Amino acid sequence: MIRRTVIAAAIAVFVIAVAAGPLLAAREPGPAPAQAAPDKVLAIVNARIVPVVGPEISKGTIVVRNGRIEAVGAEAAVPAGAEVVDAAGLRAYPGMIDGCSSLGLVEISGVAATVDNQETGRINPQVRAIEAVRYDSMHIPIARSNGITAAVAAPSGGLIAGVSCLLRLDGWTHRQMVVEPAAAMQIELPGLRAARGAFAGRRSGPPPADGPALLKELRRIFGEARAYEKRRDAAAGNGLLALPEFNETFEAILPLLKGRMPAMIAVHGERDIRAAIAFVRDENIKAVFYGAEQGFKAAGEIAKAGIPVILGSLYDLPPVWEDGYDALYRNPGILAAAGVKIAFSSSSASLAKDLPYHAAKAAAFGLDRAEALRAVTINPAEILGIAATMGSLEKGKAANIVLADDDILEMRTNIRKVYIDGREVDHSNRYTELLDKFRR
Amino acid sequence: MKNLALPLPRAAAILALAGFVVAFGPRPAAADGGDILIRNGTILTVTKGVIARGDILVLGGVIKAIGPDLAAPPGVRAVDAAGRFVVPGLIDSHTHIAVAGTNEGSEAITPEADVGAVVNADDASILTALSGGVTMVHTMHGSANPIGGPNVVLKMKWGRPSEELVVAEALPTLKFALGENVKQANRTVAAGRERRYPATRMGANAVIRRELEKARNYMARWDRYKKAAAAKNPPRTLVPPKKDLRLEVLAEMLRGERVARCHSYQATETLEFMGLAREFGFKIQCFEHCWEGYKIAGEIAAAGIGISGFADNWAYKMEAAEGIAEMAGYCARKGVLVSINSDSGERIRRLFNDAAKTMKYGGLSEDEALRLVTINPAIQLGVDRIVGSLEVGKQCDVAIFSGHPLSAYARCDMTIIEGRVYFDREALAREREAAAPAAAAAREVGGLQ
Amino acid sequence: MRISIVARPKPRVSPAVIVVLAALALDAAAPAPAADVGPTYAIRGCRIVPVAGPAIEKGVIVIRDGLIESLGPAGKVRIPDDAEIIEAEGLQAYPGLITAFSSLFLERPARSAGPEIPFEGPPPAAAQGTREDTFPPGPGLFVLDQLKPSRAAVESFHRAGFTTALVAPERGIFEGQSVILDLNGEALLPMVIRNGAALHVNFTTERGAYPSSLMGTIAHIRQSFIDAEYYAARQAQYAKGAAGLKRPAYDPRLEALVPFVRDRRPVVFQCNNVEDIKRALKIIAEFKLNALLAGANEAWRAADVLGKAPVPLLVGLDFRPPAASRYTTQGEELRKKAESAIYPANAAELAKAGLPFALVSGANADGTAVLKAVRAAIGAGLAEEAALRALTIQPARFLGLDQALGTLEPGKIANVVLVRGGLFDEKVRVVRVFVDGVRFDYETEEASK
Repeated sequence: MIRRTVIAAAIAVFVIAVAAGPLLAAREPGPAPAQAAPDKVLAIVNARIVPVVGPEISKGTIVVRNGRIEAVGAEAAVPAGAEVVDAAGLRAYPGMIDGCSSLGLVEISGVAATVDNQETGRINPQVRAIEAVRYDSMHIPIARSNGITAAVAAPSGGLIAGVSCLLRLDGWTHRQMVVEPAAAMQIELPGLRAARGAFAGRRSGPPPADGPALLKELRRIFGEARAYEKRRDAAAGNGLLALPEFNETFEAILPLLKGRMPAMIAVHGERDIRAAIAFVRDENIKAVFYGAEQGFKAAGEIAKAGIPVILGSLYDLPPVWEDGYDALYRNPGILAAAGVKIAFSSSSASLAKDLPYHAAKAAAFGLDRAEALRAVTINPAEILGIAATMGSLEKGKAANIVLADDDILEMRTNIRKVYIDGREVDHSNRYTELLDKFRR
Repeated sequence: MKNLALPLPRAAAILALAGFVVAFGPRPAAADGGDILIRNGTILTVTKGVIARGDILVLGGVIKAIGPDLAAPPGVRAVDAAGRFVVPGLIDSHTHIAVAGTNEGSEAITPEADVGAVVNADDASILTALSGGVTMVHTMHGSANPIGGPNVVLKMKWGRPSEELVVAEALPTLKFALGENVKQANRTVAAGRERRYPATRMGANAVIRRELEKARNYMARWDRYKKAAAAKNPPRTLVPPKKDLRLEVLAEMLRGERVARCHSYQATETLEFMGLAREFGFKIQCFEHCWEGYKIAGEIAAAGIGISGFADNWAYKMEAAEGIAEMAGYCARKGVLVSINSDSGERIRRLFNDAAKTMKYGGLSEDEALRLVTINPAIQLGVDRIVGSLEVGKQCDVAIFSGHPLSAYARCDMTIIEGRVYFDREALAREREAAAPAAAAAREVGGLQ
Repeated sequence: MRISIVARPKPRVSPAVIVVLAALALDAAAPAPAADVGPTYAIRGCRIVPVAGPAIEKGVIVIRDGLIESLGPAGKVRIPDDAEIIEAEGLQAYPGLITAFSSLFLERPARSAGPEIPFEGPPPAAAQGTREDTFPPGPGLFVLDQLKPSRAAVESFHRAGFTTALVAPERGIFEGQSVILDLNGEALLPMVIRNGAALHVNFTTERGAYPSSLMGTIAHIRQSFIDAEYYAARQAQYAKGAAGLKRPAYDPRLEALVPFVRDRRPVVFQCNNVEDIKRALKIIAEFKLNALLAGANEAWRAADVLGKAPVPLLVGLDFRPPAASRYTTQGEELRKKAESAIYPANAAELAKAGLPFALVSGANADGTAVLKAVRAAIGAGLAEEAALRALTIQPARFLGLDQALGTLEPGKIANVVLVRGGLFDEKVRVVRVFVDGVRFDYETEEASK
């Protein structure tokens, strides 16, 4: 009797758990509670404020309370008792956001023991970057002290690489760093170099993996996941129907199919971009493209489809010679001019600090400078769905503020202070520690 | 007109050839003849200060005059650099471009494997280099071996035959390497094969020492033979030593006719190699990468050795995990002759960006930072008498940037070697548009709407 | 139409030849060599293109016992009483074509036809051994020992007019020694004109062993010639007086190299791109070799250098740009254009520059495909007459066989090709071929109608 009850209870729990699965997946684990914000009020005065959204303020004040921006403006009053930071000669920017990195997942790329961004196999929607982020990564303080206050940490490899997360670059644990635990499902189509043979006469790559064929495979998997969900939900509501066996792949994909998570689709060549646009439309999923090296050849179509683009590292050669030596440099400008919302990424951990320089490089080759700045601040915030709290210096947003002695996208510029949620972050990092240690 | 009698296919072939060279690469710059007048640019001479607005007159590839309002002889092409920055062509002290093959990795000791013997003037990396304002590179043997091979200094004269690329004035160099690459720490050994000796830093030092001893012995045997052969009646049974290409190269270095360029990362291996140089009496011109150089900057500076390093490319392997971006600037301030290298066919086109990073991370001035990719590598390569700065009498290797070359927003617009234009961004863009009207049309339809 | 191309009864065909030809036709076992005294033929009524002089309309060629006895206009040449008369009205007679570099009868698929394997990355770590014991004794290998003659291969070449072929070895750096064959049947040894015709050297690598890079390969080639010279000198010294001298150790590899460095026997360097040509020329000059360059598909790009030091060129007819070429490194469009329009003009450019060259079949085992490629070279500007010389007298001279081959002249070997149409016409039909006076019929009267 007892046994029967236990079993019945167990079944009930299981059924409820399965039925509730998608909902739980949607909620869980939720943004980490904000760290205790300092009670004190901060006022940054005399700064040249570049709010990104809205006009530049040649000399103004930013008031921060409880980790949020309370006021921005030339006329903003300094509250009584506020800690005043004189930023004369400095410019205030919103913290930059890295659209795709391997921060926290890769320490030393050549040492396998320190690499956690590439799972084995091709279809891994069940792996979540957040569960492996090394919050003490030596690369995070270096990126942070260069004005980057948030970053997507993404798994890579295979066709479905796993689920990326969005981190604020401060926190005592990785869970405290979480802005969005499930930022995107990372999907990867083959690079152009593999498809077209290598640049500069190097050995040709393996036979081209066919982007459209891979998208077809994804359609099949998505179809199976939907069928699985239907059977599962039907069985949950009807005890006479057999419960399908738990399938971790389909379970992990369903949030994407339900629109609760976007796909970040790494897509590179013109043909694959067109195929991916159709794929996104047909599957009715939220998507952002990553890479899009030949996006300039289909910029209008990308814009029309309303799919934003997170550019890959510009530290690369054009994979197709005929596109021109500067194809990767010109691409962002052409995309933006066509109306595509673009954001930059470091696509790195050890060089995540270089995020602003990718934007500057694109600006040297045709991208509007203001748009270049947006593409490392408000654009990634909008693309990642966090523009309500990040990406610009506006009232009500998190106080992610960078004080720099010059243009923030310039290499020669020094970053003087960085605030995340109103807290000034420590500028010391692996570089400074080692230099101090060995300075003679 | 005899040309009209060309068989049609041949004419087509010639037209196609011309068309494609134009479309896909800067024209080989033979026609300019090395005479050019660069006008109205902001000139960063590197060694003689900044000229806010000035001209550079070049005749026969050599700078004849620098100053305001220079007049050129009739027929000399003038390039307007108004609003732009004119700087010495950048020099990359450590690359592996424009050659067929990088490593003779089958054995640990291969000084006979001469990079200069395998120059490939067709490597499109030359174009990549030009597009970043680089006019000269030191193309080196790879780092697979404790002793690699002789290296070669090349000018990026795209379209010219390989022999014209080689810079004969450069100091002869020999590549050494230490650490993880040499001990093959990151390689799996195929089943049934033994790990190559050396597999430790101890072993690497030991094999270098062994080879240096062999070279000494070889030199002594030749000396003895020559002495005996020069005698009045040399014995009939006198047998000369056999010429050994491997040891010949080491002997050149021990005689001071060739300098060492040593790939090193860690402080210990770097110091030990300096010990070997003292013991055997050879000159180390430069340590390559030298990521831990900041730990021993004083020792390196005192020994008069240079560093050819990265700006911030680090943490890709264990021995690069303490490679801090401050290294170059810090060591430069400690008195080390530092250059920033690319070591890459991609990074080479943003060498000027890498130099700029030393301002942020090493606290260098603009002038100091620019030296890291101009006169300093020229000194390291022994070519500072002919290039590396803009001075009357030097060869006119020049890069023209859209802005200050240490600005992240700067773009290289033109690259000139010995007065000849090898890279012209605007001409290239025009030619690209002309060559691909179909592609442009497609872009308008599908792209800009 | 008859089944056999040779079964047509003719009263005065030598029984021996009947045996040979029947064997060929029926794919029987290889027959005995031709009889001691071969038959006599009088080819009558054809247009003769002797290459040695102007064409003869309506001529007669008399072949006796494998040699050309006489030739000239009909009426001026006496037709011997014992001659079998071959009516050749409407046909043209050419000297048998010579390919001075082929892989005929080699069983493996030919040397990497087209783009060579790029030299890239080190091979799997090899245990460190001494260099001496890692090399196979390549220079002493005779390719003759590896050949597997086949009727199909002979017929394929005959049908393109080829009667003589140098067969080159194709593995390794020192690939071995070639053989020159007259394609006079199916048995191998009777075909041999000269074994050990040349030493063949290729700029390739030893997979997984030293040398694994082009740098190492060049060093290895040079060291090998140095060693051979040293070996020869020691042997000579010892031969002059053994007393007091240690006996030089016997080394089959160096022994095989000695004739090439000491006696200037011919050395053929395989040159797949313009840089290979320059590399070979340096080695040739260093060791004063009697050398030829094979492949040479980019020889036009080295015309300047070759003009200063003319070396016979055995020009291949593979028009694919090599992997490292500027025509390959700048995108797919240019590569395709180069293959169709630029590389076929190589021979025409060489002719224009006055450089000595022969056209060779190389790795191509299909005779008609070789002829097609010759037509492409002609289409790209090569004069037909130059093409003909490059396939006849020029290779004969290069191989030192111009006393016996390469033209139709009395006293020369009776290698005669009778074709319907011009040799380089697309619709050319090879009707009959004589090799060493042995007759092969490839077109019946019926088939020709």
